[in-house]
Amino acid sequence: MGIYDFVVKNIRGEEKSLADYKGKVLLVVNTASKCGFTPQYQELQALYLKYKDAGLEILGFPSNQFAAQEPGSNDEVQQFCRLNYGVTFPLFAKGDVRGETAQPLFQYLTAQKGFKGFDPAHPAAERLMAALQKNFPDYLPGDSIKWNFTKFLINREGEVADRYEPTTTPASMAGDIEKLL
Amino acid sequence: MVKVYSITSCPWCDKVKKYLKAKQVEFEEYNIELDEAAKEECYRISGDLTVPVTTVNGKDYVLSFDKEKLDALLGL
Repeated sequence: MGIYDFVVKNIRGEEKSLADYKGKVLLVVNTASKCGFTPQYQELQALYLKYKDAGLEILGFPSNQFAAQEPGSNDEVQQFCRLNYGVTFPLFAKGDVRGETAQPLFQYLTAQKGFKGFDPAHPAAERLMAALQKNFPDYLPGDSIKWNFTKFLINREGEVADRYEPTTTPASMAGDIEKLL
Repeated sequence: MVKVYSITSCPWCDKVKKYLKAKQVEFEEYNIELDEAAKEECYRISGDLTVPVTTVNGKDYVLSFDKEKLDALLGL
């Protein structure tokens, strides 16, 4: 079973085979489904615009499993939503990314690359850890997806090259992406 | 007819719709995620693709769930 064997659903509910992305460098991200302040979207969009012509594709998978509390909830609250969050890379249908109901793609990705901890240098790391311990303590053990914006980088051969936790900003991944392009 | 432009899974859109229903304002909802023509219309009105956008005449509009501005727009 490889990454190209998976079939996922697009935002309209139609099936899309990941084999359609063969030969590209892929960044698979579980994104937030709520309409709050989510700066990683902007950084992901910036990566996409910079590298898409060189062969990068970003695939976003919205999930509401972490919807209750954003770690950065003291950030400004905007009372509107933006169509596709202002990004032009593909966003797929909303679905689960962890637990027994997780989409098979995410079961596969987390089995390929386990959880190695949050980057303590990230300003949100402490808040994120506290939020998990308080609200979702059962999310902490194991290799499962811990929060929105966990990122999996896949090389042109379809191998999962690395996993980045929400505490790694998309902008700081540019060097790793360039190596694979 | 009052028009509300929305997207799927948009809590602010839901609040606007709920508010209009509570005020017994009849409206039509257009999901700009699923309706390409509505998306273009919404962009023409507000110059962006943010929702909820509420309008009566296709010109004046209220972005977001803002009771005061909605009341003013709809004469409530």
